[in-house]
Amino acid sequence: MSNMASPFTNAADLALAARHEIISMTSIAKASHVASALSVVDILSVLYTGTASISPEKVSEPDRDVVILSKGHSASALYSVLALQKFFPKDWLAHYCENDAPLGGHVTSKGVPGVELSTGSLGHGLPYGLGIAMARKKSGAMGRVFVVMSDGECDEGTTWEAAMIANHHNLNNLVVIVDRNRIQSLTFTEDTLKLEPFADKWAAFGWQVQTVPGHDHELLSNALASKTQPSCIIADTTKGKGVDFMENSVLWHYKPPAADDVKKAFVQLSENY
Amino acid sequence: MRDTFVKTLLEAAKYDPNIILMTGDLGYGVLDTFQTELPSQFINSGVNEQAMMGMAAGYASTGKRVFVYSIGNFPTLRCLEQIRNDVCLMNNPVVIVSVGAGYAYGSQGYTHHALEDIAVLRALPNMEVIVPADPIETHGLTLAVIASSKPTYLRLGKSNEPEIHTTPPKISVGVINEIKTGTDGTLLFAGSVGVLAVAAAKELETQGISVAVASMPFVSTIDLNYLSSALVKGPVIVIEEHAYRGGVGSAVLEAVNSANLQGSIGLIASDQSNLSQIGDQNFLRVANGISTEKIVQKFNALKVN
Repeated sequence: MSNMASPFTNAADLALAARHEIISMTSIAKASHVASALSVVDILSVLYTGTASISPEKVSEPDRDVVILSKGHSASALYSVLALQKFFPKDWLAHYCENDAPLGGHVTSKGVPGVELSTGSLGHGLPYGLGIAMARKKSGAMGRVFVVMSDGECDEGTTWEAAMIANHHNLNNLVVIVDRNRIQSLTFTEDTLKLEPFADKWAAFGWQVQTVPGHDHELLSNALASKTQPSCIIADTTKGKGVDFMENSVLWHYKPPAADDVKKAFVQLSENY
Repeated sequence: MRDTFVKTLLEAAKYDPNIILMTGDLGYGVLDTFQTELPSQFINSGVNEQAMMGMAAGYASTGKRVFVYSIGNFPTLRCLEQIRNDVCLMNNPVVIVSVGAGYAYGSQGYTHHALEDIAVLRALPNMEVIVPADPIETHGLTLAVIASSKPTYLRLGKSNEPEIHTTPPKISVGVINEIKTGTDGTLLFAGSVGVLAVAAAKELETQGISVAVASMPFVSTIDLNYLSSALVKGPVIVIEEHAYRGGVGSAVLEAVNSANLQGSIGLIASDQSNLSQIGDQNFLRVANGISTEKIVQKFNALKVN
């Protein structure tokens, strides 16, 4: 895991390394959303180990695959994966949220290679990705667009506006992956604003829907290979995945890990993976 | 203005496949020719301004110049955060085109009146706010916008606006277009309220007062050269069809203050005193404090005898 190491080719290795970085960087920065990042990191690890055709050399190529992390609060997961995959220097992670540092608490694109869109206000990533997908479809350009969303984000009306538009225009180059961890800002999604029957909703909007275990790299990878889109993959995840005291807890949506928490979390990671 | 805009855009788009026109399901009878002639460059998104604006930003990020067309508040206030984050922050080359500036939609009611749009959009970073005076200026400004890649807000009137300019003005970003010279002061306007300024100048002339009349289409890039010499001559009255707070007049006051210019400035704008009153554009202008008479009064009140 030094700076000299090669990029990861295996999603499981990348996800484990990224989990360590996420826990460290949120602790150093005293930042929120560690559990959101641990929830989504397997999805990102699958995308960035070959599923999405994107690499540090290709970040400006017009036919690259585009990955948009619409749930911008899980920035530490995206930054960790991009740093480990050599999109930018790994030592940036230790300066997360510092004054004048490149990496902000919500996903920041300016000056950060590999980040396609600054996010943080929910419900922006899908319309934006839809625009890229439509432009490519109209001009015959290649490259798919992957939009990674939270489930709470599906409370936003733009999600369903965009879902209708994508279906109407037959955008088979657009893939939505919902990190379905069932917890949002204050409590569980189903106690806040019912999303279920969630898969049926996407299907009713004309999307091909697959529900997969969201921490299983192989099953995620298989689901993402499907190109009969617009395609929605509901990734069943666990918020805080990999660290038992962070799992399924609203507390860790906000609480930064203290030094002692980091130690305990690292022990957990060595036991669980 | 809207027909001139669409015609100008269509002619350019025929030779430039990077020009895309999006609408939020508005423009009946106005956008048809564009849609028929260039279907691959036209998208009717449906009635969904927020998703449309995000989509326009993403579309534009692939190197296209995307024009988003709708009425007054729909492509502006309805989707403000998409403009702020996806267009302005990302600096994507989107052009927001609204029709129905001020009270142009008259008796359609306050929901269709655009009175706060300039204030809100000119507060956004990277955004160029442009308010054409008449069809002639609209043509030149549309060409200038096509040539630019900045996030832009083009605020159009509706239809049948009288031509204020007799000859096409030379369009240059941030430059005020003078229509009539004058020695005692200046009536500076943005938008189709120019007719009121022209009428007020004639009225002042009968009182032996000579005022310049000028169109200021660039609201976020202010022409300080023009303003500094205008303020030396006498009072400058800024006339707009928009709320007082944050509008064109505010923009002029801010610029003058920053540049430390001295002089007398008066504002004519909507006092928003009659939100629910029904009537046509001319009726509502007067009802909300925008009239030739008010311009003359304001000028005379500021003039040093």
